[in-house]
Order: sequence, then structure tokens, then C-alpha cells
Amino acid sequence: MYQVDITADLNDEDETGFVWTFLDEARDPGQITPGVLVVAGDEEAAAVCQVVDLVPAGDGTIVHLRLLPGLVDEYRALVERALAS
Amino acid sequence: MPGERIEQRLRLRAEQPPAETTLVVRGGRDTPGKLRAHVQRTARAWSLDGQPLLGISVFAVLGEPLDDLLRRRFATFRTIYLPTAGRLAEHGFELLPTAQRPHFTVRLRRADDQELAHLLEALGAAQPNPAYPGSAA
Repeated sequence: MYQVDITADLNDEDETGFVWTFLDEARDPGQITPGVLVVAGDEEAAAVCQVVDLVPAGDGTIVHLRLLPGLVDEYRALVERALAS
Repeated sequence: MPGERIEQRLRLRAEQPPAETTLVVRGGRDTPGKLRAHVQRTARAWSLDGQPLLGISVFAVLGEPLDDLLRRRFATFRTIYLPTAGRLAEHGFELLPTAQRPHFTVRLRRADDQELAHLLEALGAAQPNPAYPGSAA
């Protein structure tokens, strides 16, 4: 089970080729700015993504996400190795 | 600042519909509730002919082998759905060639409980994704 920073359907892409979702689906929309890394998806399927940009659309703001390779668990292992004393 | 929905009609790719036997991939394990949320998200952002577009995303196996598509795009999903385009059509669902090839939107008409259950049936059984790291497949 994952606790994501921003809920998204990781199947969704638009003409940019990036995954997209709405800014108001973030746990803390203030953290969603271009360049930052986030965990996106839902409790069962999540991925580490980089925020590309924010674009007004429909009744809100669309967030484009670059899907990064690897699993969330692999990033956790990476960080644990890096921080091990 | 909110904007207009993104009209898809003129953005649809000019290409023939996938053959009936073409496999269609959707990652994850859906429920009627999840499908409803995804359909509503699409309808918030996109329109078709001026009306909110009800739909969910899938990828067709076109131009690259299934294994390559799964490794390239679906490696974060433990499970996938793998219906054919024909199966979706038999259940009354149209595939719209949205975004970049091979992405498609499965179009719904009402997105009520009955249609969402019908879509889940059309997707078939979720199956293990052989491209998920550590998969035994």
C-alpha cells in the first residue's frame, strides 16, 4: 500500500506524452512545483515521477508528470543505502 | 486560473481503428469506484464535440511487441488488463485515438453504475504483469 503525494491514473497520457492529473488531487498542492520528485498513482500502483509543469485546464490545473524508471521500493532502498552510516 | 476543457475532436489521430485482434493494455487493478474517478478526471480535463469526454486510458499493442510495451510503459504495475480491441467493441466501447500513439481513450456514454460494471467486465480478468520486477512470468 502506498501513500502517494498526488493521486493519478498512471495510464493517463495526453498529447505531451506525459502522465497527467489535477493539482487538487495532491495531498499538499503547495509541494507540487516543476522539477520536484513525487510519488504519484494510488494505493496499489504508484511510481516516482518528476513534475514537469502545471497548466490550467477544465475547472482546475493539470500537472504533467514524467514517469521515472524503477519501483518506489527501489528508490527507498537507494535512499537507505545512501543514508546508512 | 482554470481554463477550458481541452477539446479532443481535432486532436484525434487520423488512423484506422485497431484490428479486432489487437491487444489493448491497461495497468492496475480497477474497481467500479476507481473507474468512476478516472472517468470523472478525464471529463474534467477533456471534451469531445463540446461535451465532457467520459473515458479511461489504454494502450494498444501497435508498432512494438507486447513485451516491449510492458517494459517501457507498464513496469510499475503488478497487474494488467489485456483485452482485445474486438472485445471492447463487442461490449459497446469505442476506442478514440487520443494523445500519442499507441494511447487510446475507451469512451463511455453515461459512466453510470451499469456502464462501469460493463466496462470492468469488458476489460476481463486482471493478470500478473510479466514486466513487473520480480515477476515469476
